[in-house]
Amino acid sequence: MDLGLTGKSALVTGGRTGIGAAIAVALAGEGCDVAIVDRVHDETADTVVGKIADLGRRGLVIQADVADHAAAHEAIATVVTDFGRLDIVVCNAGINWDGVIWKMTEEQWDSVITVNLKGYFNYNQAAANVFKDQRSGKIVNISSINGLRGKHAQTNYAASKGGEIALTKSLARELGKFNVNVNAVAPGMVLTEMAQDLAPEFIHKAADETVLGRIAESQDIADAVVFLCSDRARHITGEVIKVDGGQYM
Amino acid sequence: MFKWFGRVNYAPFTKVGDFAQHLKDGRLMASRCKQCGATSFPPRADCEACLSGEFEFTELSGRGRLHTYTKIVAAPTGFEDVAPYTVGVVDLEEGGRAVAWFGESIPEESIEIDMELQVVPRIFEELEEIRVFYSLERPGTTWAKT
Amino acid sequence: MTRVGIVGIGHTAFGRRSDATVQELAFEAFREAVLDAGIERDDIDASVIGAVPEYHKQRSLAGVVQEYLGLAPKPTWLTEVACASGSAAMRTAWLAIKAGVHDVVAVIGCQKMTELSTPEILALMGRVGEVQWESGFGTTFPAYYAMFAKRHMHEFGTTHEQLLEVAVKNHHYGALNPKALFRKEITMEKAAASEDVATPLQVYDCCANADGAACVILASEERAREISDKPVWLAGMGCATASMSVLRRPNLVGLPSAEQAAREAYAMAGIEPRDVKVADVHDCFTVAEIMAYEDLGFCAKGDGGPFVADRQTYIGGDVAVNVDGGLKAKGHPIGATGTSMTHEIVLQLRGEAGERQVPDADVGLTHNVGGIGQYCFVQVLTRE
Repeated sequence: MDLGLTGKSALVTGGRTGIGAAIAVALAGEGCDVAIVDRVHDETADTVVGKIADLGRRGLVIQADVADHAAAHEAIATVVTDFGRLDIVVCNAGINWDGVIWKMTEEQWDSVITVNLKGYFNYNQAAANVFKDQRSGKIVNISSINGLRGKHAQTNYAASKGGEIALTKSLARELGKFNVNVNAVAPGMVLTEMAQDLAPEFIHKAADETVLGRIAESQDIADAVVFLCSDRARHITGEVIKVDGGQYM
Repeated sequence: MFKWFGRVNYAPFTKVGDFAQHLKDGRLMASRCKQCGATSFPPRADCEACLSGEFEFTELSGRGRLHTYTKIVAAPTGFEDVAPYTVGVVDLEEGGRAVAWFGESIPEESIEIDMELQVVPRIFEELEEIRVFYSLERPGTTWAKT
Repeated sequence: MTRVGIVGIGHTAFGRRSDATVQELAFEAFREAVLDAGIERDDIDASVIGAVPEYHKQRSLAGVVQEYLGLAPKPTWLTEVACASGSAAMRTAWLAIKAGVHDVVAVIGCQKMTELSTPEILALMGRVGEVQWESGFGTTFPAYYAMFAKRHMHEFGTTHEQLLEVAVKNHHYGALNPKALFRKEITMEKAAASEDVATPLQVYDCCANADGAACVILASEERAREISDKPVWLAGMGCATASMSVLRRPNLVGLPSAEQAAREAYAMAGIEPRDVKVADVHDCFTVAEIMAYEDLGFCAKGDGGPFVADRQTYIGGDVAVNVDGGLKAKGHPIGATGTSMTHEIVLQLRGEAGERQVPDADVGLTHNVGGIGQYCFVQVLTRE
């Protein structure tokens, strides 16, 4: 299936590891040049770029903290200059810092909201400026089913993930007239670095909640994102696609 | 849908309604009679020359020259909050005329009859609903800015 | 074929008439005309009402006017062509009499402009041009004439001061007209200091809305000579149209409808433009009067500015224009303007214009434009 992504240019935040890396490589596999944004520029980041190059496309690492507003606008500008165009922005970088609310510190709350929700605002805004003027573009924000259903000890994380969904829908309303699609993907539990810190019983519990009998791998999320970035999803906007094996309905 | 066209719209239903869809897509269209080839801007569905009702849209370059203009200070309903604003009548290169506002690329002091202009399809960016129009800009200005 | 003569005229004061309905205004003008003609109401075979309906709360104006005037069961209907509605009513009556269907017809031009609220009026203001392609950009009635003015200035070097000379002249004569809205002279300085409406037109370049009515009673030649010892004849009647939209006009420095209507009227009357001694032209804006001089052949194309600046359109000049104050000083109740113009020319040709009398006025002309020139009616009136 030709998704019409050949020659397009994408930026993925948190693209060094886990879901972000999978998304970056999957887009490259469909013919995109991809820039990844991450706080850390190390071998792991270079490995991702290497995989992109192996697929015959250009890759780029931009080191930045997604909470940095100015850096976000610079990053978008860099991609437009270096790749000559920008068609896709995927916001994926996020952290969690769990705790029941009566023990949650201000720092716990602020940092999660800032990195996750403000980070998405920073990149969505910078992308909107470009896409609005060029009258085309795709934005995909990676949220979470916890933003839809809530989660024990995640008032901060769930708030940020729910906020990302509301941001997605509002932005879809603003950018629709410019032929720009803005959507969210809401994974359930995914087998990534972030998940590896969890005790095995949490993973089993999550798998039991799914109807397909397993939790997601990064590639499952990446495939849904690639679809939303493609011309096949041209009439989908303001949508939230859960990729959770039926974990939450 | 033609109701998208203009800051206010008094003609939502017309046979040439797709004009507004084309404008949203960045294309300025004249009409051409399928029977005798006569063209018209503004577009018209019914041919003045041969009376045929069969027409098609044909894209214009948007290039033109300023025929005359005025700065409107006393504004009608729907325009009170944007007054004063300057409108101009443009003679289009391919024939026909358009009336439209001057866009941001033309400073007021530089407006002169006979100046070359580009008629550029536009969207009202900050409105929730879709509304389209066209503006008079410096030659070479494009609909997609990047 | 029979000539058509004017046997009676009547005219209300023009202004803000919050004291009267449109039919009450029509009655004032009608009464004056009937008394002027010295006829009985029953002598009237039909009436034609000239008015623009959308400014009134009352729907279907002709019916309510003819009822109040007591003209039922005689035929009546409304003619509407924007600001030329009164002249369209005149032409309709003229056609009926020439065709031999009626002998005596009352033409009542009547209009209230002040029944609507300001927002309602502002909304109507934006729908004067072609609403599909122009109103979406906020064009207004003054804006179109402003654009004509800018082009006229570009092509012929006409100055804004020359435009304002029209306003000064018309206010000078309005001061002599007891029926006018504005009865004070103005200075060039005062006019030039007024606010912008649509550049280059300022407040003093624009006529004012008003309420009012004017009535003209027409008769076949045979009946006219029976009724009146000073009938005034409709010697030439011209009528032409142009595109509603300025986007489809051949040029924007004159009104092709006026040029053509004038040619037709002159030909029918067998006269040249220079034979006209007194004229009422459609000065909805100062530039409109300047374009009228040119369209009517009173001066060459492009010379309208100097023509008024040289006082050629004052009494004593080449042709006295708008010596009743014009739309500018008299006010413009749009449906009544055509019959109001006719009223003035009849007074002039009868020698009854008092302080405003143009000496030896034997040939007069009215030039009544609808909207921005999509309709024009030119009448040549004669004493003999």
